[in-house]
Amino acid sequence: MNKIWSFIWSFSSVLIAALLIAFLIFDQAPWPSSSRDYTEASSVQDTGAINLVSSIYLGYRAYDTLGETIVLLLGVLGTLGILQIKSNNEPTRQIQKRRTEFLKVASGKLGPIVLVFGLYVMLFGHVSPGGGFQGGVVIASGIVFLAMGTREAVYSPLVNGGFLKKLESLTFFLIVLSALLGLIVNVGFFGNIAPLVNIKPVYFIVMLNVLIGLKVGSSLGLLCLVFLWDEAT
Amino acid sequence: MTLFLLIILFTLSLTVILSKKLITGIIALSAFSLISALLFYVLRAPDVAITEAAVGAGVSTVIYLWTIKGTKEDDSHE
Repeated sequence: MNKIWSFIWSFSSVLIAALLIAFLIFDQAPWPSSSRDYTEASSVQDTGAINLVSSIYLGYRAYDTLGETIVLLLGVLGTLGILQIKSNNEPTRQIQKRRTEFLKVASGKLGPIVLVFGLYVMLFGHVSPGGGFQGGVVIASGIVFLAMGTREAVYSPLVNGGFLKKLESLTFFLIVLSALLGLIVNVGFFGNIAPLVNIKPVYFIVMLNVLIGLKVGSSLGLLCLVFLWDEAT
Repeated sequence: MTLFLLIILFTLSLTVILSKKLITGIIALSAFSLISALLFYVLRAPDVAITEAAVGAGVSTVIYLWTIKGTKEDDSHE
């Protein structure tokens, strides 16, 4: 009897959620077009990014991206605080015994390829789909692959927690610095400072993409590695 | 195509809620993310599709699996 009731509850809750979303998906009313037309007409000139999504989230509304990185930073800090990882080089080697040879070989070979793809998504975020956050997450998956495929002889500094912590702090500092630089030269918080030094405005977008990608990649990679170490100890 | 993908998503979300073994639920959640990434791509939002595939199907599944390995495997109420 209990099982039937739990099934009915789950089914009806999923059905209600689906009905709420169905109005959005199958709606025939036209979307608001004024801000879309404005972005399409002038964003390439304003920010230089061909990919309109990245021109919005790094050009017009970079403030949101700063909040996103702060949320991620808080998540990593909370995880490190709860799991209380102090020194962290040894547990990665202790875990070696439980890995099969197949997993080591496959993930060790896949890791660098995933890292290269993540770098591509990060560096070409202004022309193709992707960007800093997406590239950073792909880099983090590459770091997880490398950590699972690490052998005794080949030890990458990327799966070392100290390096990732330093990289994350440095890139976050640089993001805040590049945001404040706009205030000093009077183009506003997160203003595009590239035209003032006579380079194309798109390079500011590329720089922010790289910084955010490295920040997100190092912090999410650190988050996954912390769970790996916690399992080992 | 959209309707077909939505029906699959509905079934997968029911599986996530109803499964007694947590591992089954996590794998179904990962499949849910993958199918919804496909749905975003069909609806012409490739940026969101990349994010959904990388975060939902990749990193969060890894974190969930490692968390469950450190805790109990069943969703029992005793």
